[in-house]
Amino acid sequence: MPFHILFLVSIVAGFIGALSGMGGGVILIPVLTLFGMDIKYAIAVSIVSVIATSSGSASAYVRDRITSLKVGMFLEMFTIVGALAGAAITLVSGRRILFILFGIVLLSSWFALFRQKNEDWRQASHQDIFSRWLELEGSYYDRSVRQRIVYQGARAYLGGPLMFGAGLIAGLLGIGAGALKVLIHDLVMGLPPKVSTTTSNLIIGVTALAGTSVYLAAGMIDPGLAGPVILGVVSGAFMGTRLLVRLTNLAVRRIFLWVLLVLGVEMIFRGIRGG
Amino acid sequence: MQVSSHPPEKAQSDHHFDMESLVGHILLAGVLLSVTLLTVGFVWRWARVGNLRFEHSIAGMNFFEFILSTLQQTASQAFRPRLFLNMGMGILMLTPFVRVLASVFYFAFVEHNWKYTLFTGFVLSVLTYSLFLR
Repeated sequence: MPFHILFLVSIVAGFIGALSGMGGGVILIPVLTLFGMDIKYAIAVSIVSVIATSSGSASAYVRDRITSLKVGMFLEMFTIVGALAGAAITLVSGRRILFILFGIVLLSSWFALFRQKNEDWRQASHQDIFSRWLELEGSYYDRSVRQRIVYQGARAYLGGPLMFGAGLIAGLLGIGAGALKVLIHDLVMGLPPKVSTTTSNLIIGVTALAGTSVYLAAGMIDPGLAGPVILGVVSGAFMGTRLLVRLTNLAVRRIFLWVLLVLGVEMIFRGIRGG
Repeated sequence: MQVSSHPPEKAQSDHHFDMESLVGHILLAGVLLSVTLLTVGFVWRWARVGNLRFEHSIAGMNFFEFILSTLQQTASQAFRPRLFLNMGMGILMLTPFVRVLASVFYFAFVEHNWKYTLFTGFVLSVLTYSLFLR
């Protein structure tokens, strides 16, 4: 695939990924396959670019002291093992299965976003012994409300194994699976939304590296293809983040809902039809 | 929701500040350096041959062999666009690895938190194993 097409497709994927907060992979992989790239190579190229976008945004959030490093470092133990298993499954899977799985993930994300309600965060009613032993409490200064928010992470015994599943999907499909990680942080572990999102970003980088190593060993990562994708996704994400502050949440959501729905249906259709 | 109106600086310990600063700066430096090297590689390639197409494979190498071969080429001063591309890719993949390595040292020698030294040590071991995969 020519450099300029790869680069432009990656800019658009990074741009939409940053606007929606779902990362570039969910857009990049379906579009690369539409341009004729083998889905397994698209997954391998995408997962390398995920390292760049997640590390870039995580660096800012960590320095702003919103990310919970201890939550992140505990959960990484599960996601990296999941990512290794997921990537190994992709190597032996049929392409049709990957198309269908990708379509299901896109439609599930569409459904989650469609049903999303902007409810206020509620602190977990009490912190269990295991989570207390893991020191999963923390605080951050929320500039929007000018207050220090104190929180206690809970149910780590459930969060850990569930994060194995999130890592598995990340390695399997070459995406960050950030939406799933945020959901586990929010609903299971009772973390505030900003801590969930920023901690998920930190975890995604290490998880993507584990997946990348499997694809690299399989000879599926070509620097000539990965280079333009990394540059494009990073540039697109940079532009998307800047535009995000000027757009309303509703406008972003409407655009992304349509994109997810069309790509999800299209991927499942191609999987059933035979790639 | 528990809140307090303390400004951020007052409620943070020095250790917390150092750990987050260390991790944040490693990630930022890694991504910026990688993107710069990749850009140099492509711009140089375009200036030299008029196209941006690289046709070289790194198949058959695991991550550490890839890094070793890139370092050998750098040491022998065999500078060419391809080397910059490889350096950019290598630095990008090393970024999360170095972040985990730094976390292990920080938890072990600065915070003396053996629980988290063990957790980050486990992550580092699995990552190291995965980077030696064939």
